[in-house]
Amino acid sequence: MTWRKLLRHETILALLSVLALIVLASQSDKFFTVDNLLNQGRLMTEVGLIAIIMTFVIITGGIDLSVGSILGLVAILLGVFWKNLGLPLPIAIGLGLLVGTLAGLINGIIITRFRVPPLIATLGTLALYRGIAEGISEARSVRGYPDWFFVLGQGQFLGVPVQLWILGAVTLVAAIILGMTVWGRGVYAVGHNETAARYSGLQVDRIKLAIYSASGFAAALAAVIFVSRVSTTRSDMGTGIELDAITAVVLGGTSIFGGRGTIIGTVLGLILIQALKNGLSLAGIKSDGTIVLIGAVLILTILLSNLFHRNGNR
Amino acid sequence: MTVLLELRGVSKTFAGNRVLKDVDFDVRPGEVHALMGENGAGKSTLIKIISGVHAPDDGGIIRVAGTEYKAMTSRTAARGGIATVYQELLLFPELSVAENIFLGHAPRTPLGSLDWSLMRRRGRQLLDSLDSHDLDVDAKVGTLSVANRQRVEIAKALSQNARVLIMDEPTAALADADVRRLMVVVKRLRERGVGIIYVSHKLPEVFELADRVTVLRDGALIGTNPIAEVTEQSLVAMMVGRDIAQLFPKPVPNIGEVVLRVKGLSFGDRVRNISFELRRGEILGIAGLVGSGRTELALTVFGITPATAGTIELDGRTISITSPRQARDLGIAYVPEDRGLQGLVRPMSIAQNVSMAALHRVTNGLFMRFAAEISLAAEAIARLGIRTRGPEQIVGQLSGGNQQKVVLGKWLATNPRILIMDEPTRGIDVGAKSEIHALMGKLAQEGMAIVMISSELPEVLGMADRVLVMNGGTSVATIDRANASPETVGAAMTLAGQSVEMAQ
Amino acid sequence: MSTDVAPGFVAKRSAVARFISAYGQELVIAGAIAALFVLVSLISPRFLSPNNLNTIISGNAYIAVAAIGMSMIIITGHIDVSVGALIGVLATISGTLATAGYPVWIAWTLPILAGIGINAIIGALVAYGRIPSIVVTLGMLSILRGGLVSITGGAWINNLPPDFHLAQQRLLEIPVPIWFMVLLTVGAFLWMRHTAFGRSLYAIGGNIEAARAAGIPVERRVVQVFMIHGAFAGLATVLFATQLRIIQSTVPPNLELTIITASVIGGVSILGGTGTVIGSTLAAILFSAIGSAMIFINVSPYWLRAVIGVLILITVLIDMARRVREQRSAKR
Repeated sequence: MTWRKLLRHETILALLSVLALIVLASQSDKFFTVDNLLNQGRLMTEVGLIAIIMTFVIITGGIDLSVGSILGLVAILLGVFWKNLGLPLPIAIGLGLLVGTLAGLINGIIITRFRVPPLIATLGTLALYRGIAEGISEARSVRGYPDWFFVLGQGQFLGVPVQLWILGAVTLVAAIILGMTVWGRGVYAVGHNETAARYSGLQVDRIKLAIYSASGFAAALAAVIFVSRVSTTRSDMGTGIELDAITAVVLGGTSIFGGRGTIIGTVLGLILIQALKNGLSLAGIKSDGTIVLIGAVLILTILLSNLFHRNGNR
Repeated sequence: MTVLLELRGVSKTFAGNRVLKDVDFDVRPGEVHALMGENGAGKSTLIKIISGVHAPDDGGIIRVAGTEYKAMTSRTAARGGIATVYQELLLFPELSVAENIFLGHAPRTPLGSLDWSLMRRRGRQLLDSLDSHDLDVDAKVGTLSVANRQRVEIAKALSQNARVLIMDEPTAALADADVRRLMVVVKRLRERGVGIIYVSHKLPEVFELADRVTVLRDGALIGTNPIAEVTEQSLVAMMVGRDIAQLFPKPVPNIGEVVLRVKGLSFGDRVRNISFELRRGEILGIAGLVGSGRTELALTVFGITPATAGTIELDGRTISITSPRQARDLGIAYVPEDRGLQGLVRPMSIAQNVSMAALHRVTNGLFMRFAAEISLAAEAIARLGIRTRGPEQIVGQLSGGNQQKVVLGKWLATNPRILIMDEPTRGIDVGAKSEIHALMGKLAQEGMAIVMISSELPEVLGMADRVLVMNGGTSVATIDRANASPETVGAAMTLAGQSVEMAQ
Repeated sequence: MSTDVAPGFVAKRSAVARFISAYGQELVIAGAIAALFVLVSLISPRFLSPNNLNTIISGNAYIAVAAIGMSMIIITGHIDVSVGALIGVLATISGTLATAGYPVWIAWTLPILAGIGINAIIGALVAYGRIPSIVVTLGMLSILRGGLVSITGGAWINNLPPDFHLAQQRLLEIPVPIWFMVLLTVGAFLWMRHTAFGRSLYAIGGNIEAARAAGIPVERRVVQVFMIHGAFAGLATVLFATQLRIIQSTVPPNLELTIITASVIGGVSILGGTGTVIGSTLAAILFSAIGSAMIFINVSPYWLRAVIGVLILITVLIDMARRVREQRSAKR
């Protein structure tokens, strides 16, 4: 039973998260403060946005390695549009989001029209988009954005960081679409058996195009928030973020082979990762040391849930 | 008399479920021993025990060429000269024919590296001995037809000096001409003294080839008899445990006006200039060899490979169909040839599969109505007699016949007016087969227009009101029920069959 | 049916045709390299100077060497995204040993053993833990990368002993990295083609169930191929760590993706079961040739990555077109 399997994985994850929280809280009394937790949410947003949409991508049996490059490209273009072309910043932001969405759409077209495996297609565009970002920027950074722009990445609304509201809204909409709509059902069907989905009259290619475009959009949105948070743009922004996002998604129980996974799982994965990063650094462990633990947790969780599956099934 | 392989009192339990109960079985040199039974009767478990895939429960004995084993492994099976030609062919598409034949036991040079020229030469000899002179030892297996891949599998078995050859439904995916060619090969192997375990659903083949036949039912041995001592009726009775009075229950048809009219339909050179009419309440059978364009015709009508020329009229209105979605919206349904790949999403539940083509019926425009989905599935389960624990059961756990009913249920949920069924009973057991035939007859009687594509001539002759015969991508004859016989239809199928076969 | 066909009629395909169909991708890349050399040398003859050729070929030799192992992994139907981090870790081990006064041969060989050991763990998790290789290596990537930086604190290693710099030495006037690359590529190619072990990797990647049925010990092979891949990562490290005066204790960003890209452009299908290691070596040469060519024809090197991205996409699209054609002919 799929549902039971899912619950089982998410239970393991939830238990791990609680355990981590208890251990971390006992290590440092700064951990369980509202300020700290909200600040962690701020840091989680960029990866979070990408991971939420990456969940859809991976459920269809695909992968999108180009998100980090799209993030870098959009960040650079934001600076170029605003500073070099002199466009008003809101228009520059709008254009940046548009370019990101288009970059995702191009991924989708390469994958659906030319039947290129997603891993390869996005490996190619990973190099291409990052290359364009590097070519345009020539390692120059753009600074000096107007103050109002920093609200997005550094401000608060009702006491909660602005970008956390955005992440929350995207998560909620994504969870509803995936879990409760006909379209979401199509996503799962495509992931399990694309041919049968096509033969059942589902518009497989359109579903994929929409998902890869959304993935590009999410990366672009993350880029805007990133730039606003750190007040500058550089072409190497977002390098490696694709692997962080994929880690969160897989940790959240989404099968890398497609067909299985939930948004809730991904959110749990994100929280566990961020809690570990923060808690350990508060406990005096260097942030690089926490990455080690995240890698180990990823492998262990999947290993554990595999063991449970094998006992439960056949 | 010497015996190549002997099983005594072999049982097998999976997760507390006894799927094989105390079975005796043997194979003698130079005989074809047919193994029959409905799906789930234990045939595949038995051959997997023989070939060392599964270990049997304690207590049984397996004797191979005089040596006793408690359980076989793939290694002891190979040493004992047991080779298997599986139903889903186990070949490596990217490797060459020669390499596939010798994989795992390739000839070596004195230096220990693989001897490619000897491999190709011996591969050539083996294929020649199977009358497959036209098969290139350097061709990539991925580029071969199903029949040719099977020959590679048989050559592979022979290259291991097989004394016992297990053939698991070798003709399930073959066209008639290839079936005949395969039978020649089987007979030749028998003359060489090879003992052949021949698993098949097809009675005519068994009667032509087998020396003895063993029937399993529900994991138990029902009997082993010389072929001369059984009849079609008695075999079917042994398999299903009851008499099937009539194999093809065809009610009196109630044929109405023309629903679908196809004129000059073409898709590239695979479907060429096909014209036919389909009437309300009619079952139109489409016969032809594999590769004659039957499935391609269906795919063109259903919009998967949109037509490159010709017209389709629905109720007298000319339409163009460019996607399965459009076909579905026009009331056309297609139960595809490859159930696992094209028909079902196996890891999903019955309910999720049944609603898949009719999602508009289980939504309020924005959200899924899960209760409606369950009741849609419950309806299909009741209507089609799907044997299951309930609508939430995973489809992959069902038997082949019940899976096929789920596919049918999915398409009936769209309330189609035209139902295209491609090999509707391939690979399913006798009981489920006749249930599906009965259902087909009933649907037609209720006014549905049905196109039935089948490789089994008895099925076409038994069910169809009219038979369209295809050959080389085009239609060569339309024969009505009164005149349809194995001779007339078979002749049309193979009319220019020579060139078709050559091209494959 | 076929009695009127002369025996062996179809089998007599010419050896040349067979060669072209088997090594199409390799020929395409070799052609691309040749075309690039001709075109750029027309603009700037210095491009073909022995010095520049040496730089082009030996500079990326470590990528070519690592790509040999990666090709084997991908042919077996797996992937490894942790190899870049592994090379970073091994380079640090190597440099640390060298500066600590151990003999250089220990500083060269120990990383290879460490690479084999670490990848044995990866292989075991994939084969026996039944975790998809992309997940295991994703986790391993974090572990290695994080572990490296937290232990070294990102410090650079300098004061390396002079005889440590293997990659700067020459044998018979030819830089050592080129020897490594050529010998390892040819050796691995022959081994993949002419041994039962090599063929079994193609079998596992092509059809794992069939491989199992053919009596191939699939799990053990997977562990072994990861260990071999680890050895190649170790060899690549030796070239990488000894080519400069310093060793940066950070992993070159996206190194794993460059290595995977070399394999894939070289004709190794990401779906497993096909390809050779010659293609990936040629692809690694092509990358650095393009980089060098851009300098010679005065294109900003900042555009290098974009060019490589376009190159990947073009190669892949050609490959897909070829596949579609083949599938079509299969259905006849």
